[in-house]
Amino acid sequence: MRKTKNLFDIAWTYFLLCLAGFIFAFPCLWLIMASFSAGGSIYSFDGFFPSQLGFNSFALLFNDTVMYNYPKWFANTLFIASFSMIIGTILVILTAYVMSRYRFKSRKAIMKTTLVLGMFPSFMSMIAVYILMTQFNLINNHWGLILIYSAGAPMGYLVQKGFFDTIPISVDEAARIDGATSLMIFLKISLPLSLPMIVYTALTSFTWAWSDFILPKLLLKQRDSYTVAVGLMSLGETEFARFAAGSVFIAVPIVLLYFCLIRLLVEGVSAGAVKG
Amino acid sequence: MLEAIKKGGIQVALSALFMGLGQLCQRQVGKGLTYLFLHISALWFFLRYGAVMLRGFITLGERRANPTLNIEGDNSVVMLIMGLFAIIVLIGYLLLYAANIKDAYNTQTLIAAGKKPLRFSAELKSLADKNFYRSALFLPILGVCVFSVIPIVFMILVAFTDFGGNTVPPELVSWTGMDSFFRILTLQQFAPTFFMILNWNVIWAVCATALNYFGGLGLALLLNKKCVKGKLIWRAFPILAFAIPGFINLLAFKFMFSYGGPLNQMIINAGYSPIGFLDLDAKWMARIIGLLINAWLAIPSSMLLAAGILSNMSKDFSEAAKIDGASAFQIFRAITLPFVLFATVPVLISQFIMNFNNFGIFFFLRGGLYIDGYFLASDTDLLINWLYNLTIDNNYYSIGAAVSVVIFIITSIISLTVYVLSPSYRQEDQFK
Repeated sequence: MRKTKNLFDIAWTYFLLCLAGFIFAFPCLWLIMASFSAGGSIYSFDGFFPSQLGFNSFALLFNDTVMYNYPKWFANTLFIASFSMIIGTILVILTAYVMSRYRFKSRKAIMKTTLVLGMFPSFMSMIAVYILMTQFNLINNHWGLILIYSAGAPMGYLVQKGFFDTIPISVDEAARIDGATSLMIFLKISLPLSLPMIVYTALTSFTWAWSDFILPKLLLKQRDSYTVAVGLMSLGETEFARFAAGSVFIAVPIVLLYFCLIRLLVEGVSAGAVKG
Repeated sequence: MLEAIKKGGIQVALSALFMGLGQLCQRQVGKGLTYLFLHISALWFFLRYGAVMLRGFITLGERRANPTLNIEGDNSVVMLIMGLFAIIVLIGYLLLYAANIKDAYNTQTLIAAGKKPLRFSAELKSLADKNFYRSALFLPILGVCVFSVIPIVFMILVAFTDFGGNTVPPELVSWTGMDSFFRILTLQQFAPTFFMILNWNVIWAVCATALNYFGGLGLALLLNKKCVKGKLIWRAFPILAFAIPGFINLLAFKFMFSYGGPLNQMIINAGYSPIGFLDLDAKWMARIIGLLINAWLAIPSSMLLAAGILSNMSKDFSEAAKIDGASAFQIFRAITLPFVLFATVPVLISQFIMNFNNFGIFFFLRGGLYIDGYFLASDTDLLINWLYNLTIDNNYYSIGAAVSVVIFIITSIISLTVYVLSPSYRQEDQFK
């Protein structure tokens, strides 16, 4: 009796797992198949899958750049995401480190202020930025996007602060007795110790800029200045295969990165949870 | 600071009179000259530009543009932002002034105690050591101020003007007080839409948060079962969905549910007429599809979160309960759930707020759809989508600003209450 119940339980568990796996994998599989379809429009598909396979959507993506300049969009996105990642990571790590290690007068005030600021819909400042940029004629400028992404990054310092909280302070004190200044302690001791967190921060800020669509949609109006997200949004149903190919092409590097760094990601996510 | 002036000697009084003079008299030449220079440049700024900017902030422009007479009018929006800028400079200047008086007072007490005050160069050096936090926080705070605080303050200010509609530069904008708020809450044009959307927005946020949270928890518990082999592979599927940029998935789902999409093709092939899943009259169907797609996107990350927390949970309690004959469901309800809930209150709040302001889902699925009975919105739109329609597509800037202030008030009341009550806020230093 007990055994059959157990068997039933295992079967049920695996059934649910298969179902979940199917639900999560199927749309991805669908997109990958679609990117290899010979016909371009969504109407040339037979149900979910293309009737004929081929590589022409990828060829079109990179060669037919008159209307949809995918290589240029890709370069734009890479430019914006890389610089936002570098500047944003530096700012976040600095903020988190100071907030974790130092006790100064305005510390609680800063923490409460960031909390309150975080509650304003981020959209609100974007609309303000949009109005301001149109008034000052700064539309279509990639550096505007980079500055907005990286300057907004320190607001999400809590995960990194939680990480620095776990590095024992005795290491710092030992170095201080040996005559190291705070700057040296930060650069020579704390930074090397927190490499995993830096990687996590860099990865998240890169993907944030890489996959955001709201801000570029607001601020980039010329076809040539588009990022991939805005560019792919401008593709209609007749360009479905091209959309799928473009998506697969930018999703693959990110997906590979995630799988390499999944352990770090899990730690980062749960570190933020415990510390708040 | 007042105390410092009262107790301080002549040098402190000199500092209060003219920034930097006190330091010069205390033979702190480098510092004194720096303060003096800053003071003079601030005075120059205010006489030359600041006064005009502050005046423009109050009037928001008086001269209307007149092309026939070739008069260039005032641009109210530029005046508003420049006025804001002048106010920030003014606040910075006042803070600097206070710091200057305090500094003179500190030096005086040091001298009175017979100690030697620090040289200016030594004080600059302390920026890399004792005062490292100041130099480190300078850039982040500057960035947040310029790109988050100023835009937010600007938007709040806009809510109190009549900026928008036909009143955009070169027309002159003026202050109207609480008018925009009254218009949202009472005017026939805005009020019904506002309350209908607010109602749906709250339902959406609650349902979506609960669905994502319990979905993720369920998946994590499933993967945590002893009998599951090959956990890495099973976990890879949700992570795959997690790793693909959200806009790709959203666009893909939009194609999937479109008239030419695969679902409708299969329906047509089976001999039925196509279904407009996201069409004008698809109110609840579109809403439920939105909820499910949102769950598809968000469950992987909440699964990772729950898995991380479950791995921290000690097995003692659940094993003791099992020996006492508790069923799996009882263990979940009485032991696992309280533990996970306790650890994730802050995350739950931030997820609730994120869902409350979830722009992407309905922007992609049913963006730009206007439905009868709603003012520039559709029945799936959340407040944030309405905000977009109002401001970006239709120029109702002041109404949009007022809506965003209302969103802020709602979300902040909810989250502050929960956050302050939660144990993770009160015991911040507990983990050290």
